[in-house]
Amino acid sequence: MKRFLAYVLLMVMAGAVAHAARPDSTFLNTGFFFEGRVGYNIGGSAPLGMPATIRKINRFSLTPNVTFGLGAYRPINGRWGAKVGISFENKGMETDANVKNYHMEITKGGETLEGVFTGNVVTRVTQWMFTVPVQVTCDVRKVRLRAGPYFSYLTGYKFDGWAYDGYLRVDDPTGAKVVLGHEDGERGEYDFSDSMRRFHVGLGFGVDWYFMKKFGVWADLNWGLQGIHKSDFHTIEQTLFPIYGAFGITYKIR
Amino acid sequence: MFHNMIRVSWCVALAMTMALTSCFKDEPLNAEADIERVVVNVAQPEQLFFQITDTARDVLSTDNNIVFTVRGHADLTALAPRLVLTPGATVEPASGSVHDFSNGPVTYVVTSQDGRWQRRYTIAFQRHLVIVNDTIKYDFEHFELEPAGKKYYIWYNQDAAGQLVQEWASGNPGYKIARATAKPDEYPTIPLTEGYEGYGVKLITRDTGPFGKMSKKPIAAGNLFLGEFDMSKATTETLKSTRFGLPFTKRPAKYTGYYKYTAGDTYKDKDGNVVPGKKDVGSIYAVLYRNHDAAGNEVMLFGDDVQTNPNIVAIAKVKDLHETTEWTAFEVPFEYSKEVDEQLLENRGYSLTVVFSASVDGDLFIGAIGSTLCVDKVRVICTHEE
Repeated sequence: MKRFLAYVLLMVMAGAVAHAARPDSTFLNTGFFFEGRVGYNIGGSAPLGMPATIRKINRFSLTPNVTFGLGAYRPINGRWGAKVGISFENKGMETDANVKNYHMEITKGGETLEGVFTGNVVTRVTQWMFTVPVQVTCDVRKVRLRAGPYFSYLTGYKFDGWAYDGYLRVDDPTGAKVVLGHEDGERGEYDFSDSMRRFHVGLGFGVDWYFMKKFGVWADLNWGLQGIHKSDFHTIEQTLFPIYGAFGITYKIR
Repeated sequence: MFHNMIRVSWCVALAMTMALTSCFKDEPLNAEADIERVVVNVAQPEQLFFQITDTARDVLSTDNNIVFTVRGHADLTALAPRLVLTPGATVEPASGSVHDFSNGPVTYVVTSQDGRWQRRYTIAFQRHLVIVNDTIKYDFEHFELEPAGKKYYIWYNQDAAGQLVQEWASGNPGYKIARATAKPDEYPTIPLTEGYEGYGVKLITRDTGPFGKMSKKPIAAGNLFLGEFDMSKATTETLKSTRFGLPFTKRPAKYTGYYKYTAGDTYKDKDGNVVPGKKDVGSIYAVLYRNHDAAGNEVMLFGDDVQTNPNIVAIAKVKDLHETTEWTAFEVPFEYSKEVDEQLLENRGYSLTVVFSASVDGDLFIGAIGSTLCVDKVRVICTHEE
């Protein structure tokens, strides 16, 4: 380990020397250009196609969906290249939806209340994760187009909310009617955090545009290929896919 | 390549926008199949009903058997109840169709607007039975598991004709929502095998579990009362879920019976904090009240006014309900605060409720888990006005 650190230090010094000598060379002569990026995710964890039971989105709130990342770009042939990165980001959302005959199952401490709900449902999602994109790039003038898979590992996550201002028919639409109110204690709370996936796999498409020598802007679309919940989770009838657009600024470190 | 990629990105962006915003589907058809209200229009309602308000009634979501009480000599051969259904639902036989109710209940089947759900109801017109005996007996011998789900017990009384009628209500249906895993004997209100004579009833203050905690209703006091339990209000307006009282046509004088009581170990306040040194107390009382106000509107007593409503005419209350492991007799008089109108009494203008609770402040979710009240051989003794 010590020897490795010594080697890294030596390489950094050598790189600094090389950098001073040849400004266009890659970082530490590794063949890679490095960049830092910050940005913001906008999107949601949503079904592909809205089910008829969701009538209206009353509210969609932005949550602190920041993303910080480091990227490494390596030119391969002409305009073609490859890019890998690592970023730490949040894919969160908060929605308030109006639903009708919406199947719900609330589980708490081993007790279950199941039925169909007509009213409003608030959903809050937080998903902090490390994401590694692996992308092919193609340069078109000052613009770099990117596409490829990404892999995420979630370090912190939450999926909760409450049903309010409506009524639940217990078990099915002919069951007992239970009115849910507006205030804390009168509404039906749920928390499905424990059923969330830790790993995400998806496809990413993006574009970088360096409008200055060091600074650029970027935009991405990251489409999760699996639902945010484990596959044995059926309480929410529709699979919710993490589909997020992102934009931000990037800075060439070298 | 460049053009293809642009196209792919564009398609993806479009699909995403559609998924998230634009494509709300048509509203699904209603899935419920309820009779929400029944109205009986007749030319001279006073010949059929005791009170004009008896001609219509709202139906609780848990009710399948709708019963109208009518005068003893009423003609039941051609009545046409009008039914208010869930919007879009249909009913067979039709709302407003004429039927002969003199041979018993008529069955109605309601089908939801989407055609996928059905509910079966019966509507009955029961002739009012004159109570002959001066002593009304409540012995808790007739009970069964609630037929639809077989989760909790319900109790019946025997009416003057020997028929079993479901006059007793308890908070058990509400407890089922909080603790679906509870076995019948884990509910707050259960039968007692070793009653004073035959079966009795046992009321226990129970923990409502994680859902109860979530909805800030941490306990459920075992209770039993003459009236109805409105499940729909159990989570939002709990005090309105207990609908106290049934029409009563005699003048009660005395309230007697036998009880045993043990207070639970730990008394907790509304927020679940332990109150050291405080002992839980049970509650046994009966209330007679006028079931209509001066303007002719129906009056029902609820959890928040069952002992304070201005329509109350008499209360009989056991005051020193101390802990006792032996069957202990109680006998308390009905204390009248208002005159009773004999004419109105005969015409079902008064209602009586008889109430037992394992924790006196259980309606406010205050009490001790484990507090147990056993009750048996309850009597309401009435007097004749000569």
